[in-house]
Amino acid sequence: MRVLRWLILPLLVVPLSWVLLTGFSVNPNEVPSALIGKPMPSFSLTTLDGTKLDSRALRGKPVMINFWASWCPPCVAEHSVLLDAQRRLGGRLQIVGVLYQDTAADARSFLATHGDPGYASLQDDDSRLALDFGVSGPPETYFVDAGGMVRGKQFGPLSAAALREQLARIGVSDS
Amino acid sequence: MKGLALPLAGGALLALAALALLSALQPPVAATRLEQAAALSAQLRCPDCAGLSVAESSSGSAQAIRNEVDGLLAAGQTPDQVRQHFVDRYGEWILLSPRAPIAWLLPVVLLVVAGLGLGAWLLRARRGKASPPLVAAAAELQRVRDEVEALDA
Repeated sequence: MRVLRWLILPLLVVPLSWVLLTGFSVNPNEVPSALIGKPMPSFSLTTLDGTKLDSRALRGKPVMINFWASWCPPCVAEHSVLLDAQRRLGGRLQIVGVLYQDTAADARSFLATHGDPGYASLQDDDSRLALDFGVSGPPETYFVDAGGMVRGKQFGPLSAAALREQLARIGVSDS
Repeated sequence: MKGLALPLAGGALLALAALALLSALQPPVAATRLEQAAALSAQLRCPDCAGLSVAESSSGSAQAIRNEVDGLLAAGQTPDQVRQHFVDRYGEWILLSPRAPIAWLLPVVLLVVAGLGLGAWLLRARRGKASPPLVAAAAELQRVRDEVEALDA
């Protein structure tokens, strides 16, 4: 019983401190991905150019799937990182954009204003692909290895450092 | 009144257990597809809203989930399968009420442990009062007597 008296304070303080410390370092809006370690959802969608893109055509090379929208300010913030990534890594990495609740006209206007990276952007009119990836809001980017497995998820805009860290998970060195 | 406390508490626990058993044994009421879709929409979290269910939100993603729920039910999936469909994509986060039994059991376990601790503490306190250390008191009395005698002398 005497030992228990000594333990009461640590038993109360340690779990409470742990909850507070870990709780404050977590973004409450960030949804952890249930897809990590699982195969990428398959799709066959029309690009902004009007051609069809099937997910099977992406097999064998690492893929970065970026969900974006013209109405989303953080998507403007990360756009320069995407332009730069396509220019430098386009030969080793396949980048695919997916429109999130946006119109093709607004998306084209966005690309005309902020620069077209040159990779395909898919029209996901019924949000089926966004639901299959578990997207909670743009921008969100998924990193898929050459074997078609999802290895990473970036919640919010990509920075150069975040991109480097995520690409390392799918075997693409960005140095 | 004192003797009634234990039987009353035991009876209340038995009644609770019986009610839980009866509700578990009751056959589920068959719901229409529309009712099932409405119930599922109320249980799923809207992905891009703050703390709203899919049923409460008018956002595009909530609408897309409602359409998906309806499509899956129409394809013959059960409500459990539909829930699992979204958990597979979003994780348990998508459910507004946790499914893990520990989330429901932990508060009850903590209450029981706290009650037992309080009971044990009260019992100890009562025992302490009920049996004063007679030998120690007698020795103390003798010491006071000796001191008074010494003062008188």
